[in-house]
Amino acid sequence: MSKKTIGRRATLGLMGAGLVASPFIRPSYGQAAWPEQTTVPDILKGSGEIRIATFGGTMQETQQKAYFEPFEKITGIKVRAFPGSDPTKIKAMVDTGNVEWDLAQLSRGSIMNLQKRGDYFEKIDYDIVDPGVEKQFRFEYGLEMLVWAQVLAYRTDAFKGAVPSGWADFWDTRKFPGDRALYGTNSGGWPEMEFALMAAGVPPDKLYPLDVDKALASYAKIKKDVFKWWDTGAVPIQLLTDREVTMTSVWNGRMAALQAAGVPAAISWNQGLSKRDAWGIPKGAKNKVNAMKFVAYSTMAIPQARVCLGIPYGSVNAKSNEYIPAERLAVLPSAPEIAKQLVPYNYDWWIENRETVIPKFNKWLLS
Amino acid sequence: MSEVAQPASLALAVSRPQTAPFDWRRAVPLLLAAPLLLYMLVFYALPVVAMLLRSVNDPSWTLSHYATLFDDVVFQKTFWITFNTSVTVTLGCLILGYPVAMGLVRAKAMAPFILVIILLPFWTSVLVRSYAWMVLLGRHGLVNEALLALGMIDRPIRILNTPLATQIAMIHILLPYMILPIANALRQIDPSLIRAASGLGSTPFMTFRQIILPLSMSGVAAGTLLTFVLALGFYITPAMVGGPRDITLSMLIAQQVDQLNWAYAATLSAVLLATALAILAVARKLPGVGNAFRTSMR
Repeated sequence: MSKKTIGRRATLGLMGAGLVASPFIRPSYGQAAWPEQTTVPDILKGSGEIRIATFGGTMQETQQKAYFEPFEKITGIKVRAFPGSDPTKIKAMVDTGNVEWDLAQLSRGSIMNLQKRGDYFEKIDYDIVDPGVEKQFRFEYGLEMLVWAQVLAYRTDAFKGAVPSGWADFWDTRKFPGDRALYGTNSGGWPEMEFALMAAGVPPDKLYPLDVDKALASYAKIKKDVFKWWDTGAVPIQLLTDREVTMTSVWNGRMAALQAAGVPAAISWNQGLSKRDAWGIPKGAKNKVNAMKFVAYSTMAIPQARVCLGIPYGSVNAKSNEYIPAERLAVLPSAPEIAKQLVPYNYDWWIENRETVIPKFNKWLLS
Repeated sequence: MSEVAQPASLALAVSRPQTAPFDWRRAVPLLLAAPLLLYMLVFYALPVVAMLLRSVNDPSWTLSHYATLFDDVVFQKTFWITFNTSVTVTLGCLILGYPVAMGLVRAKAMAPFILVIILLPFWTSVLVRSYAWMVLLGRHGLVNEALLALGMIDRPIRILNTPLATQIAMIHILLPYMILPIANALRQIDPSLIRAASGLGSTPFMTFRQIILPLSMSGVAAGTLLTFVLALGFYITPAMVGGPRDITLSMLIAQQVDQLNWAYAATLSAVLLATALAILAVARKLPGVGNAFRTSMR
């Protein structure tokens, strides 16, 4: 660890601690210390507007301050953001030729799944994308722009100090008593077969291709203790808060708000799944040139770092970490210490197999 | 009001000579209704037809999606769960709702107050009500805490996220649809019939069994049908307070939409719609129920 790091830690320590405790942006001390993108290549400048569909909530509030407003200022392109991004809406828009969004926040999975059924997305122009964006986040019809994790979370007051680590512990209801919740298929979700396989002893690097029958056999061992197959991110948070469960899977970003509210709960990062959100430009979008410029801008190191400071999700740009205080970095799924405990989610496998896997899971659930 | 107005206009119409080329008076109601009819046609009927067509013409003309239903165990189980839940909820509403309807009809000064309590669920969002049930039925919720305090249980029991929680929450939401038609039927019973019965030595139970109950059957039928058909389409409540296996048909449809299997989603929607229509069609033929339709039309 260099002297420089320690120096920054000393000066930004207080701010970092504040941000760890609260997922919300506190302009009083937080935003003043956010890095500013003061210049952009001329090719990113332009005019007119861009209509962006997001997932809404605190995420959109963060995006507003992290890169929507700065992008408007520096490029002259006006941003209009709408919550409620949804691949089924994009299918309907493109099918009817009435494309109301120029850019949408989705996942590589939903983009590729739609693209499999027709021509629904524009190709990404990688000539203008920042070289710092790592290769693993790039694909033909979209660019990943946010790293998050689906992880194990537990009530710290439930196990007399014992700390669960990994899915074998989650499955062990004798050592870690109490009800469980896991992600289900109700809102088009893809079940956490990876967790079931790791619980059954499959090493994290040998997960794919998933052995579905083995996963279901593993699920069967915990079925009676899983009393909720959740479908939206708010549900596991509510279950932990109300002491309905002692352990559940969660989306990591939601946990910060829970901890800030004083609920004794924590994340166990080990064997979590590292997932990503991606930008996709719907086919025939009116302002697709502006959309491409925004895709390039928002994945630059500083705009990405600003998101990380506003909400505990990780960056896709290798250079972002230079702009994030160490204390803050330590709670992000992209932090080196955390990232190495996570398993990269294989969207490609799921796109190929979900049509057979999900009915199989549903059938198992109802049997 | 219409009962007064209608005979008058009918009389007018009849008294006019048959040779009149065009009776604009009769056309007025139709013309007034035309904007709404047109609106419903364009924004409701056409989209529904287009959606249902997907079940037979996506990707080309085929009945294969309907054939799939026979092999689809998930659909069959879900259909059974949905049907079963609807029956239980309807029975629950009937048992709880009938006495309330009687109380409402007999209450004098208290009637508006009772009516407000019955209608309260109407004015609250389904989401808010489901969250309220979570507070009440949770492992550390009000019901469990009360049972613990009374010493009736020694550790919290699981009520939330079970089929029972779904049924309790759905009954709460659907009760007004049962109570109001029954109360309406009860109100139309001539009080002199009841006085005559007791004057002739009938016990209150016999009066209920032989006069009140048969005469209120039209309301019971209307309420039962309404409750049952509405219960078939429930989505948010079972998803929020239900158990791991409380998957209703509408949840399955939403799942298929999300997974871009729109043709199959349309097929399932057609099944749900057909079930509701079939129940209404059969019910209309039952003696006494056809009457209920006319009553509720009034």
